[in-house]
Amino acid sequence: MTRAMTWTMTGSRFWATTGSRFWATTARHGRRFVLVTLLLAAAWQGGDAARIALKAWLAQALLAHAWARSEGGAQPIRPWPGADTWPAARLGLPRQGVMAIVLAGASPRNLAFGPAHVDASAWPGEGRASIIAGHRDTHFGALEHVARGDPVTLERHGREYRYEVVDTAVVHRDAAAIVAGADELVLVTCWPFRALSPGTPWRYVVRAAPRAAPGG
Amino acid sequence: MMHSRPVLLTSRRGPFVALVVLLLLATSVAAREPLPDEIRHGALLLDGAAAAPPVEAPLVDTAVSMTVTGLIARVRVAQTFTHAGSGWVNGVYVFPLPERAAVDHLQMTVGERRIEGRIEPRAAARRTYEQARESGRKASLVEQQRPNLFTTRVANIGPGEQVVVSIEYQQTVQVDADGFALRFPLASGIRCIPGTRPVGGFDGGGWARNTDAVPDASAITPPVTPVGVGHDNPVTIDVVLDAGLELAVIESPYHAIAHSERAPGIYDVSLAAGAVPADRDFELRWRPRPAAMPRAALFTEHGPDAGYGLVMLYPPEAPRAREQALPREVVYVIDTSGSMLGTSIAQARAALAYAIDRLRPGDTFNLLEFNSRVRRFQPQAVPADPANLARARRWVDGLQADGGTEMAAAIEAVLDGREHGERVRQVVFLTDGSVGNESALLAAIERRRGATRLFTVGIGSAPNSYFMREAASVGHGSFTYIGSAGEVAERMRALVDKLEFPVLADLRLDGLPAGVEVWPRALPDLYVGEPLMLALRFTTRPQSLDLSGRLAGRSWATRVPLRGGATARGLGVAWAREKIAGLEQARVRGRDAADIESEVTALALTHHLVTAYTSLVAVDVTPTRPRTAAAHDAAVPGKVPAGWTMRIPGGLPQTATPLAVRLLGALAALCAALVCAWRSRRYAEAGR
Repeated sequence: MTRAMTWTMTGSRFWATTGSRFWATTARHGRRFVLVTLLLAAAWQGGDAARIALKAWLAQALLAHAWARSEGGAQPIRPWPGADTWPAARLGLPRQGVMAIVLAGASPRNLAFGPAHVDASAWPGEGRASIIAGHRDTHFGALEHVARGDPVTLERHGREYRYEVVDTAVVHRDAAAIVAGADELVLVTCWPFRALSPGTPWRYVVRAAPRAAPGG
Repeated sequence: MMHSRPVLLTSRRGPFVALVVLLLLATSVAAREPLPDEIRHGALLLDGAAAAPPVEAPLVDTAVSMTVTGLIARVRVAQTFTHAGSGWVNGVYVFPLPERAAVDHLQMTVGERRIEGRIEPRAAARRTYEQARESGRKASLVEQQRPNLFTTRVANIGPGEQVVVSIEYQQTVQVDADGFALRFPLASGIRCIPGTRPVGGFDGGGWARNTDAVPDASAITPPVTPVGVGHDNPVTIDVVLDAGLELAVIESPYHAIAHSERAPGIYDVSLAAGAVPADRDFELRWRPRPAAMPRAALFTEHGPDAGYGLVMLYPPEAPRAREQALPREVVYVIDTSGSMLGTSIAQARAALAYAIDRLRPGDTFNLLEFNSRVRRFQPQAVPADPANLARARRWVDGLQADGGTEMAAAIEAVLDGREHGERVRQVVFLTDGSVGNESALLAAIERRRGATRLFTVGIGSAPNSYFMREAASVGHGSFTYIGSAGEVAERMRALVDKLEFPVLADLRLDGLPAGVEVWPRALPDLYVGEPLMLALRFTTRPQSLDLSGRLAGRSWATRVPLRGGATARGLGVAWAREKIAGLEQARVRGRDAADIESEVTALALTHHLVTAYTSLVAVDVTPTRPRTAAAHDAAVPGKVPAGWTMRIPGGLPQTATPLAVRLLGALAALCAALVCAWRSRRYAEAGR
């Protein structure tokens, strides 16, 4: 046993002994009740985690199907009945092995299904920056491994736009502003990557600039 | 056998130690907050310094000169477009003007040449401008996007060139209990654009795409930069003030000013700092000596076709009637959208706290906040007893600004079109009015108002006062403006006084002689400190006007003599502008839009006015841009209003899920369950 562990045990001696006494005097069906409650809690927490992961994964499968019919995002094809968004582009991070369908409108609901385009920004070719946001624990987890010089691709309306990562930075969500600007692609996700709590004010921002003519 | 078990679990304290370790693990992961040197601070300013340089927008400097004569202000706004970069550029500048500004003159100065603008129907003016732009001639076009938001376009500015676009407008001075005031908005705020379906193209150089709810969104959402980033669009303001009265005070609440008396009763006023950034509204107030404050005023003008008049009238002092003590239901609605972030939300909270303190014991009240959704303090209005008031104060303290401005949902939640029994129902909206779908919201207020009176309180350094003034007018209430934290108590006191009851209600003009046209046609209810302002057009001058209504609950009538009075200039324009505003209100009330368009267009062409349907356009004679050079469009960035915490409109979304927390929670519960099961078995064995 390591020294740290010994310390932990000493520190928790009071609780350990009190707890054991309580346990010994609890009736058998009382124990069963605690056991069932714990199992239910585990099922609830695990089920919710599975729902988040499954939703993210399943949505991308449905989106890929809608994307195939949408002529490269030119037609707003609803990926499932009642959807208020549609696949608008396809984003690729070849070095990280990521290929994801980008939805129109970065609302919390859309972000559960996939990376989404921030409405207030532009699309490539409109002379201003395009911003795509994604969840750090599902689709955009790979942004952690993106480095300067990595290629990024965006397919839309039958065209492929090629970018190269020029900068990564952490910014406060309140310090972000749009200024008339260049044709950059900006990928945004929450930061830090492995925090437990989802409510962070920090954003990890990957900026990618258009690459010179293909092949150049 | 015991000794083969893992070390942790052999101890009697096993399960607890496991839990402690797990918790420690959890907190260590969660506590990984950013370290200072890890963060490269600063804004995500997408100015693209690294990539291909964007088309450089021309720089705009503005010089404002106002001349106030009595109740009429004549203002010239000279915008100098300077193109410092190379290549040719077509600049677009979106800027605010007072909501009742009657823009009637445009002059473009290129070097030594001055070109006068012509008024044309909007589409024709746009064509004239576009033809000039394509042919390489200099041209400018002034369009109205909203009654308080205009666009100047300037075509073919060459490298190193300067074009001055000079606009003139006229405005009626505001009168209230405090004296006289004139506002000049300098920042237009960033409006929330509702609607989901993008429609059409992207033509205004704005950050928002046109949507089904706001089909001209891209024309009213210019790019913005914080003060200190790029050009600050500096503005100088000079005023010649001839109030016609002996003045006790001249002041400007948001800017330092200097003033001097050039002749008896005539003052020169200018900004102490010279030029200021265009990031907060300018306001000038002047007050006569208390005894000299007029209770009535009449101005007339003889035009070529007809005579015009402007009447200002204060209702007589009335003793407060018993009806004023009717029990009330007051609902305060506070905007907590992202645009309120910064000083605005603090002002709104302070104003709300003040209002809560002034509720009377017999009143009932409720509070609502709205951003992307609506949240109520209580499901129903509750009595204003000490316990509820304390709860309400805590609720107000907890308000945070974030998210969109879904004002339609708030209007729907608070106005249900019903009568509310014995109580007088009053709704007070505290907002910066940063919305782009004004007419839809006004129509919703009109439709759902019922017997409720709607009051609006404008918050922040650059509120959308057009929307809030119209909302109060449609809602038979009154508009109050709070521009800084220091004004909260004073302005809210005035508002709470107004909330008591309108002084003069159900006003109408009786037996109007033929040939006399008076605007506004639907006379407003008057609250404490508010005068009645009427604009007249007449072919033969009437002797008097007969007014009647209810003064403090009792019927009241008076005859306003129209003899004498001072002569003034610009009253024809003032009357036409008032009529246009009245017609636009009729549209909110459901009158046919095509009818209104043709009537407003005819009026605007006669009086040379810029409206939603008419624009001023000026075109140079000779082309200056060589056929070989192309001109690019560039939007001139506006400034972020002072006190706003700037962020991407709509905000950077939350991009994390509780996935990790859930997994850890499941793991913890499962571990505990395992330990529990194992313990159960052990005790069962021990008991056997």
